[in-house]
Amino acid sequence: MIIQEAMTIQRKLEILSDAAKYDVACTSSGVNRKGKDSSIGNSLASGICHSFSADGRCISLLKILFTNECIFDCKYCFNRSSNDVVRASFTPEEICELTIEFYRRNYIEGLFLSSGIMVSPNHTMELIFQALRMLREDYNFNGYIHCKTIPGTDQALIEAIGWYADRMSINLELPTASSLKKLAPHKSRNNILKPMRQIQLRRDMNKDYLGIYDRSLDSKHTRANKISASNTKLLLPSKEDSKNIDNSNQLTHNTTNSNKSFTKELSQAMASTSTLSPYWKPPSASSRYVPAGQSTQMIIGATEESDLHIMSVSEALYDNFDLKRVFYSAFMNVNQDNLLPSTENGPPLLREHRLYQADWLLRFYGFKTRELLSESKPNFNIFLDPKCDWALRHLEQFPIEVNKADYFTLLRVPGIGVNSARRIIMARKNSALDFKDLKKMGIVLKRAVYFITCKGKMLYPVKLNEDFITRELIADNKKLPFGIDKDITYKQLSFFDDVSFQINNK
Amino acid sequence: MNLTKIFVCENSIDGIFTAIYQAWSSGYGHANVKIEEECEKNTYSNIQLFSDYIHVKTNIEQALMVSRSIKTKISLQVYEMVCRVALSNYQGKGDLIYRFLVLGFHIGKDIIGHLSNEIVNKIFKINRYVNNEVHHLLGFIRFTEQDNGVLASIIHPKNNILSLVTPHFVDRLPKEKFIILDGDRGLCSIYIPKKPWVLAEVPVMDSYSYDKDIANGDDEYQDLWKIFFDSIAIKERINPKLQRNNLPIRFRRDMTEFFITDKNS
Ligand code: SF4
Repeated sequence: MIIQEAMTIQRKLEILSDAAKYDVACTSSGVNRKGKDSSIGNSLASGICHSFSADGRCISLLKILFTNECIFDCKYCFNRSSNDVVRASFTPEEICELTIEFYRRNYIEGLFLSSGIMVSPNHTMELIFQALRMLREDYNFNGYIHCKTIPGTDQALIEAIGWYADRMSINLELPTASSLKKLAPHKSRNNILKPMRQIQLRRDMNKDYLGIYDRSLDSKHTRANKISASNTKLLLPSKEDSKNIDNSNQLTHNTTNSNKSFTKELSQAMASTSTLSPYWKPPSASSRYVPAGQSTQMIIGATEESDLHIMSVSEALYDNFDLKRVFYSAFMNVNQDNLLPSTENGPPLLREHRLYQADWLLRFYGFKTRELLSESKPNFNIFLDPKCDWALRHLEQFPIEVNKADYFTLLRVPGIGVNSARRIIMARKNSALDFKDLKKMGIVLKRAVYFITCKGKMLYPVKLNEDFITRELIADNKKLPFGIDKDITYKQLSFFDDVSFQINNK
Repeated sequence: MNLTKIFVCENSIDGIFTAIYQAWSSGYGHANVKIEEECEKNTYSNIQLFSDYIHVKTNIEQALMVSRSIKTKISLQVYEMVCRVALSNYQGKGDLIYRFLVLGFHIGKDIIGHLSNEIVNKIFKINRYVNNEVHHLLGFIRFTEQDNGVLASIIHPKNNILSLVTPHFVDRLPKEKFIILDGDRGLCSIYIPKKPWVLAEVPVMDSYSYDKDIANGDDEYQDLWKIFFDSIAIKERINPKLQRNNLPIRFRRDMTEFFITDKNS
């Protein structure tokens, strides 16, 4: 390990932002906060992107590690203890200066602070706590702060940090406990779920205390309102469906088992309601605890879990832990580790993309994982986005009448998103809509035409036939690889998923 | 034969509102009046032979009367929408607003539900377009610290959005002195702590000299920002097309992180 004592701030920033780049959650959304005369900063719930890096991703926060030293040895991580890399650490003052000076120049919305583990989880998190408190209290920073929690951190520290951060996150890293054990031997599922639960409960208490009514909970019609350890099982995906499972299928078997064990882990973590003992005095009576909520992140494609598995885990996290976001990070074999899949041909970006699309469907469109995937079809299709794919499998529910369908039914039409659905509902109050009207309103009909009627008529006289629509839908997709021709049927197409594609390609 | 009366006004909210007031109360009838705002790009190529041109002198009182009636008789939301259209770069916006208000005063606040009406629709589209640029610039505006501690920024927006972005920075940076300059319009907004911010006119110089002043190369945080900007990208995922979609090239001339590549080439 090389530690350089007198390192310039430039060099530190270079090392510690480079080491933070794989963290995907660079969003500043989720909290509205006006500025204050005595301080610097405000926050917009919609979030603001300040730049876009060469990979096209949004830069919104100063995303850095506190240190890239680490006593853990996670296989997928460049900073793992067994790697011989240059190590650097910021001081709390340096973090504050950088944040404030970047913020003044409007480079950023705030700070995203993550870290490797120096000495111990508690030692590191204490330094991070110092940095955040200094930033808020000495530098009067009122902008956005996202703080990552290290598994194994003491409850008391988590309690204290939550009063200074807008969002906290603790990485789930991998969808199953067994994968976690294999790739991150120093972390345990329990060390990850427990703090998540602690923060969730603390937020609830704080909201009750302040009398804040969380509308976002209410609008998510499918979401359980009150969470208790007893109804955990009801919310978990595999319960009912497990009856219909074909046990001869090896993959099926695995999935179900691990889903079940996740159920168990969840209930364990959630049973720990009463352990909320530590108390840190809020900076002020009206302070909010982690107001922008929690998020987490999973690595995609380092281990064998199917999309079904990953989405089931996400769904359970949304339903039971009130997470605001689950992020997916396409695995990259940065250590050229032979035990892990090679990513020579690039990381599984398409798969990551599909997971984000499906995640969106869960959060805003009222879909459930089990509608999108099943044991017999556990992975998303390469060519069709999850909603199109779903619609093609449910042609019996189409076409729907634009002038009558309710909001959530409209949202199920391929090509109609949240904005379009809202516009339709607003406009049809005044007069029944025609295809012409929809076009005028800027609604893209390219895909939607196969699934809707206006005043009882379809735009073209087409039969709802899955093969026909499939061909029409993918006809725009100019580069169709691997010998797919225009005679493709839906059945054939649905065999192509990113997972097996990656495997076949090896 | 009926001559169309064309009310030519200053290209500003007050100018357009004054023209609307005068055209409305002229008694010629809605069908016989038209509003045209002055702008550099307006070449008057479509000067109509059989029309009267009436030059409208901006009158704050008349303009205020129009804004007040929109707020009370239609709604605050509609008022804000109309203002955004008046600040847009849409040619013929003055007349569009006039037609929209004819409908608005007739129907009331529910006018915004009439999305399939062409005029209403146009108003919405322009609003989205202006809002998008505002939202982009809330993130893309770059301040550089001048030697005297003032934060300065230059922008070249398509719409005249200075008055729409400034309040955000006043709220955010209450203890800073700052100035945001619209390099194409010769307008700037100035804020000094504890005072209301103001909009001021400045001579339009060739923008190069502004750029150079404002870009103040001595501000050391510019380098730190560039270092961060470069190292945060994942090399295996480089994707210029995605970057361009999200951050259109036209903004980059004013953004610190693109200075070197843009200005040395
Ligand atoms: S704990 Fe694991 S993932 Fe985090 S820095 Fe250390 S080795 Fe990397």
